[in-house]
Amino acid sequence: MKAYDILIIGAGHNGLTAAAYLARQGKKVLVLERRAIVGGTVVTESFGDGFTVDSVLTGGMLRPDIVRDLKLSLPETKEKPAFISLQPDGKHLILNAESIKRFSEKDARRWPEFVRFMDKCAHILDVAYSTIMPPLPKGFSFKEGYGLMELGLELRLAGRKDMLNFIRAIPMTAQELVEEYFESEIVKAAIASIAVHGLTLGPMEAGTGYTLIHNWLNRGGMSHVHVGKAGEITNALANGVRSFGGEIRTETEVTKICVENQVAKSIALASGEEIFAEKILSSADPKHTFLKLVGPMELPPEFVWNVQSIKMRGSSAKVHLLVNDVKVTGLSPLPATFVVAPSVKYLEKAYDAAKYHDISEKPYLEITTSGNVVSIHFQYAPYQLKDKSWDAERETVENLAINTLTEYFPNLKSSIKKIKTITPKDLEETYGLTEGDLNHGQLMLDQFMFMRPVPGWSNHKTPIDNLYLCGSGVHGGGGVSGAAGRNASKVVLSNR
Amino acid sequence: MATSQYDAIVIGGGHNGLVAAAYLARAGKKVVVLERRHLVGGATVTEEIIPGFKFTEFSYVVSLLRPEIIRELKLPEHGLKILPLPSTFIPMDDGDYLGMWDDHDLTRREIYRFSSKDAEAYDEYSLRMARLAKAIKPILSIIPPDPASLHPRDLFGLLKLGQFAASLTEKELYGLAKIMTQSAADMLEEWFETPAVLGTKSASGIIGTFLGPRSPSTAYVLLHHYMGEIDGAFRAWGFAKGGTGGIAEAIASSARAFGAEIRLNANAQQVIVKNGRAVGVALENGDEVYGKVVLSSADPFVTFLKLVEAKYLPEDLIESIKKFRTRGSSGKVNLALSELPNFTALPGEGPLHRGAISISPSIDYIERAYDDAKYGRFARQPYVDMIVPSMIDPDMAPPGKHVMSCFVQYAPYDIEGGWDDTKREAFGETVISTIERYAPNIRRAIIGKQVLTPADIESIAGITGGNIFHGELLLHQLFFMRPATQWSSFRTPIHGYYLAGSGAHPGGGIMGAPGKLAAETVLKDGI
Repeated sequence: MKAYDILIIGAGHNGLTAAAYLARQGKKVLVLERRAIVGGTVVTESFGDGFTVDSVLTGGMLRPDIVRDLKLSLPETKEKPAFISLQPDGKHLILNAESIKRFSEKDARRWPEFVRFMDKCAHILDVAYSTIMPPLPKGFSFKEGYGLMELGLELRLAGRKDMLNFIRAIPMTAQELVEEYFESEIVKAAIASIAVHGLTLGPMEAGTGYTLIHNWLNRGGMSHVHVGKAGEITNALANGVRSFGGEIRTETEVTKICVENQVAKSIALASGEEIFAEKILSSADPKHTFLKLVGPMELPPEFVWNVQSIKMRGSSAKVHLLVNDVKVTGLSPLPATFVVAPSVKYLEKAYDAAKYHDISEKPYLEITTSGNVVSIHFQYAPYQLKDKSWDAERETVENLAINTLTEYFPNLKSSIKKIKTITPKDLEETYGLTEGDLNHGQLMLDQFMFMRPVPGWSNHKTPIDNLYLCGSGVHGGGGVSGAAGRNASKVVLSNR
Repeated sequence: MATSQYDAIVIGGGHNGLVAAAYLARAGKKVVVLERRHLVGGATVTEEIIPGFKFTEFSYVVSLLRPEIIRELKLPEHGLKILPLPSTFIPMDDGDYLGMWDDHDLTRREIYRFSSKDAEAYDEYSLRMARLAKAIKPILSIIPPDPASLHPRDLFGLLKLGQFAASLTEKELYGLAKIMTQSAADMLEEWFETPAVLGTKSASGIIGTFLGPRSPSTAYVLLHHYMGEIDGAFRAWGFAKGGTGGIAEAIASSARAFGAEIRLNANAQQVIVKNGRAVGVALENGDEVYGKVVLSSADPFVTFLKLVEAKYLPEDLIESIKKFRTRGSSGKVNLALSELPNFTALPGEGPLHRGAISISPSIDYIERAYDDAKYGRFARQPYVDMIVPSMIDPDMAPPGKHVMSCFVQYAPYDIEGGWDDTKREAFGETVISTIERYAPNIRRAIIGKQVLTPADIESIAGITGGNIFHGELLLHQLFFMRPATQWSSFRTPIHGYYLAGSGAHPGGGIMGAPGKLAAETVLKDGI
């Protein structure tokens, strides 16, 4: 007796998006969330005394067509906040042609062309992400290949020059890409910083051309919008699910996906309860889904090996501060997205530490503010530390973040009322991200397109019948777009 | 009117230029090769820098030379003899060593000393890499089509490429996709755990490349080094009798036998263009040589930006070539020795001296060497790959004495403050003291030395940036993007002017494929 048509593990933005689409088609859907609140990494939490923050991700945007399809009421993006690269002398760079001019006239002239090219690339990538990626080449059917043809057409429509430059840009390093446009080190570093945001790569590593485009797409440019309101996105999605008749159960931890003869039958909860359903979608990351929930015994050995080889390696930490007031030397335009990224070399050196499993002594920071809250994104703080444990290193990251920032926010230290630090270990334990990887698997070219999450299984299906992946670990994932969740729901619906 | 009229003029007498010339001459064309230096070979030369000691000055081992080239140009008849270089010896910091010997089972047993898991994985790994190398082999002889073009030639090329993809198994296809994009470290760490195994294998992923083993896309460079085959055996490395210069001499001899003329001390200054067609080459000494087509085996930078005037080229292409990455990352230290280096880990003369000796104790060791280079200094603890040619070919040094060739990475071309004599000396010293840690007698054994920085490689061999591959093997500089999109077919915007060097598909190493493919393109277009 099946109690539900669809079970969805995890009420993050992708799980909820998939749930809403499926419920909208009349499916009986149940979403199971381990935490007391929905949202996953797209969540706004309160830590008391008005200390309300976007704990993990901030500022992404759901795809507009998802907002439309699901009739979500979300705040419109009015004006893009400024993106500011902090400078020790107080003469900060604001990324717009006028401010860039103070650093280089030539760069200011090239800025509009760069923005045009990046927008174009982001558009192509967006089309790629909304395509359900068929496995290659066996089992390649016309139905599945249709999306790819559209993608090919989109590439051709970009025009010869942009198409070739897009293909060229993907495997490049962010450094090369920005050097092709700009000469000012400060301008180059500011742009390169978003290429490495949330990743364990430096701007001199191949493939950061792709991540620059990815993050540009995810943010709709350089700066973050709706800071402090990430939770509104997932709350709206949860309301959407319920409005279509779907159910969401919080504080319900799934411990096992029960499989019989390679077919997913049910899930077991921490409480001991077992729930049966036609189909199961997991928005947990692929490592957690296959190695913990399904278990290697149920899967082909080669597949298990491939899953084990998925590179997670989170190296981002969050330091949230509740302060009396926020003052930046020589600046008043708030809200804005600030970065500490003085040079490309500085970013690369920060990354070097992560390669050897150390915390960056001179970190790359991205700072967003909302009300009396200052949120610091800290890189690199690798999940795996050499001879150290995260329990003891929480303060190291806190101090490094605050001390680095004090140079630009002079009254910061004396004005701090409360601190909430989230280490990669916390990201794993509290938010369920294996190795603290914000993207459920590094955004690298060997984990891109039909290689994501593992070769041969890019179309949301798995070696277990009736089990699907709908989280950021599959193609389309990484960021807040919801593409992975929506694509998965399409696969499930077309499969009937 | 010109006094001499050739069918084809080849600029540069390196191995690719000579291969192109030989193929054109073989097809009955009247060919002349113009070589700047007093000897042929380019970066494939053997020189007696110290009397009695023959140095394989730049490139020092061979594996990639295409078997069909050896066959078709009858190179063995012209003196080519490749001697096996069967083993790799890796001394380690704890006084132990890892020996990858001539014999597969012996090597396996050796790895077993460190890790049974690695020994198990070694077979499967070797098999899979050989399979991937074989799978990608057809790509080496394809002229890359332009994916944005609607020209029938390109559409046909794409179709052929599609057929190639369809011919692969699913495993091969994903394997290739992964290896094109992965880092050498990530790929190897899926298989092995022993630091020395990982270190030495990852080193193949960084040779000639300005990237560290943890940089994505270095797995491809590793595969590039696996594509070599000697007598049908993949991944076999060899040493040419007489040093790498012996290879150039053999190709030159073959070219001459087919009727090609080779002019030494003939420094090409400019390609003469008339009515949008390349019609000849002006030499530094004022001579002009006329021909129906001109092939340049120089690197893309020289080919497009130095040898021809900018007005003949579209701005796009000039921009692309300026962006083409050709950052030299390696140097050479060639030593004349009174005795063999004696390694603490395995004392005395032994089989190790007949193979490669690699200072690559771990991936992190090499990665840290790269960290130095990316911030503009040479590696304080470099990766060094050594061979002792005189142990393989006794003619390389006087009796009882030896020559040793040390390939060193990293030495950035763009070193902070630029290269000068002091820095060259310091670089040489760093390399010697690195070797000294493992073979303490090396310093007293040195009779003479030659230290080559990337700047020296540029000035002697004429390669921009001193990059041994004429342009790094980065993903965005391969196949239809090598050296620039739209111009990967060996042709250039100037009619009758062709690129025939390592800067063209499929890239560097003593492979000869670019020279051969360029010659075939010329013949297809008709002279």
